[in-house]
Amino acid sequence: MSEEFERLKEALREAPTPEARKAAAEAMRRYLASHPPKSKPTLVSLGYKKPYPTAIKVEDIPGELEQNPEFFKHLQKIVGT
Amino acid sequence: MLTLPLHDLPVRSASGFLIRHVLPRSFPPQLLGPADRREPFRILTIGDTIIGVGHGSASEFCGHYDQVIMDTLLIPDVRGKVVVLISCETAQALGPKLVEKGAASYIGFKEDFVWVMDADLASTPWADFEYAAPVIMPVTNCVNAVLDGKTTGEAFGNLIEGLSENAEVEEDELVKSCIEFNISNAVLLGDENARVRARPPMLLPFRLIPPPPILLPVRA
Repeated sequence: MSEEFERLKEALREAPTPEARKAAAEAMRRYLASHPPKSKPTLVSLGYKKPYPTAIKVEDIPGELEQNPEFFKHLQKIVGT
Repeated sequence: MLTLPLHDLPVRSASGFLIRHVLPRSFPPQLLGPADRREPFRILTIGDTIIGVGHGSASEFCGHYDQVIMDTLLIPDVRGKVVVLISCETAQALGPKLVEKGAASYIGFKEDFVWVMDADLASTPWADFEYAAPVIMPVTNCVNAVLDGKTTGEAFGNLIEGLSENAEVEEDELVKSCIEFNISNAVLLGDENARVRARPPMLLPFRLIPPPPILLPVRA
């Protein structure tokens, strides 16, 4: 596992406070900078009436992490466990 | 019965793989795109399988443009059927209810079903080998195992095995996390020895030639 992804995982283990969300967003930005996407990867899910986007471009994940505690929890489940 | 909505990126990606690898060998009714609505779903109850892609929650499963086509309060005639729902959370309440109402077997997910897809391939989602295929191809292979006449236990085993193999070799850590998350949330309920009559394999032309691009608009 890359160092950047390990840091992202660590950042996502926290409770979704504004500070933790900011730290996770920064960790995600660093991960993306070290792994620049080749095309337009988009994180998707098949949830219904979710309080977070079910399709979000990977490059937009840091911004959503900062803004949306529910998205933080969503990514926390996927990546942070 | 096959339900394949096409209105947004997640359903387009998952439905696309089933259009490429399952649709040509399945029998009607096939509710594709705008036809994937509540009324035809309720009326067309023939067949021994319900294989559906759609947004979902613990108790609801949706069709095109997220019209709820099935929920725990109104279950169609599922007696003896094998149900595969490629959706989120339906294993929490809807799946158990389907089995309670007589479905032979149910395969689905108890949490979000997640993956990464290439939005540039929205009109030819089956060509997304790099991002979507590591998650969606094992699901497609699971559905095809059911249609091959294998037991749902064997089909579910194919799903977990396929996802696990892909997780092992996946280099993209976000994709790998999605695969592992889906493995931990995949569920088989009901009779694991249930099976349906085997369908013929896909004809050679369909195997060689991909479908035409999907030209329906994608909701932002």
